[in-house]
Amino acid sequence: MELTKNERELRELYARWLDRATKAGFAISLAAFLLYVGGVVPAFVPPAELPRYWALPVDRFIAATGAPQQWAWLPLLGYSDVLNLAAVALLALVTPLCYARLLPLLAAQREWLQLVLACAQVLVLVIAASGLLAGAG
Amino acid sequence: MDAAAIPWWIWPIALFLVSFAIGIVAVLAGVGGGVLFVPIVGSLFPFHVDFVRGAGLLFALAGTLSAGPPLLRGGMASLRLVMPLALVGSIASFAGALVGLALASEVVNTALGVLIVGIAILIWRSRAADAPNVAADHLGALLRLEGEYHDPAAGLRIDWRTHRTLLGLGSFAAIGFIGGIFGLGAGFANVPALNLLMSAPLKVAVGSSGLVISVINSSAAWVYIHRGAVLPLIAVPSILGVMLGSRIGARMLGTTPASVVRRLVIVVMLVAGLRALAKGTGLWS
Repeated sequence: MELTKNERELRELYARWLDRATKAGFAISLAAFLLYVGGVVPAFVPPAELPRYWALPVDRFIAATGAPQQWAWLPLLGYSDVLNLAAVALLALVTPLCYARLLPLLAAQREWLQLVLACAQVLVLVIAASGLLAGAG
Repeated sequence: MDAAAIPWWIWPIALFLVSFAIGIVAVLAGVGGGVLFVPIVGSLFPFHVDFVRGAGLLFALAGTLSAGPPLLRGGMASLRLVMPLALVGSIASFAGALVGLALASEVVNTALGVLIVGIAILIWRSRAADAPNVAADHLGALLRLEGEYHDPAAGLRIDWRTHRTLLGLGSFAAIGFIGGIFGLGAGFANVPALNLLMSAPLKVAVGSSGLVISVINSSAAWVYIHRGAVLPLIAVPSILGVMLGSRIGARMLGTTPASVVRRLVIVVMLVAGLRALAKGTGLWS
């Protein structure tokens, strides 16, 4: 069966947004990482000290370093390692962003079933990102 | 050599190189890369398995995000097929990540070793099915799980549709849960579920598996981020390496003989899986 015009449009839109968001995430991650390992901006836990802690389970690592959990890292964005964490978190937001971009097109195409699936997916990813169900260790 | 004697900056460079290589191989083999990354890095690098799993999920996420656009444009990933499967999988994967972080590292390493060796045997024993012209079931017809793609290697346009939709949804729930526990993309199981169970053509199964992983891992990754189990020094070089590698892998997908990649993946997985098993059981720490 031939792909319909609607499906081509949907696929191209998702691919375009995925491409742009992923490239942006790549560039931001790279820039933030260079700031971190280059020592240009101070780190919450300097990279040279990490080998003392990185073999510990996460709970003991948090206890030993005081590293933030949940959204407690947001006020610490001035530290280069925390900035890196934010850059990584941006990658986990690419998919919900791309799905959200599909919603108006799916509505315009009257693809109701796919619209419901996409809305549900955005909701699941937003709940996951909120940290409401993740809990702290 | 004692890992503590190695300067810290060697590790991110080594991670970048390992991740770049895995990124190429993972796309060609239709696995998320986490299934290679977690046992290899968990076995050969000095990091705790909690951080390796956090990085593994982000690694698989980054690789599949990066490979997504060319796979979609080439018709080898189908959004229509991905949407329902990824929705079920992402809920299960989130739950799996919560369970995984509650387990002791010995349990995780042992179970991971058993799982990886089992998967290697499964890949070795399984045969990909050609695209049979199946009749869609009611749910599959309702969701219109069908499409077409151009196979440049065969020079053909392939029309396809899937069946056994409910079983497929159940499989993706189970796969997502296991992937969340171990920080894997779980493409090793997605591809057989799509190809052998739902009868999607192999290349559509491989491409769509990548897109499913990008959605599923977006959910589970947040559990690791919120728990503090993501160390940028481990995660970022891995992400950068796999993003570059998987772009190259996605471009090679149409023309590379799958059998060569398959054999390579099986050998690497067996070695890494046995190493994880030895670490978990205390035989070789």
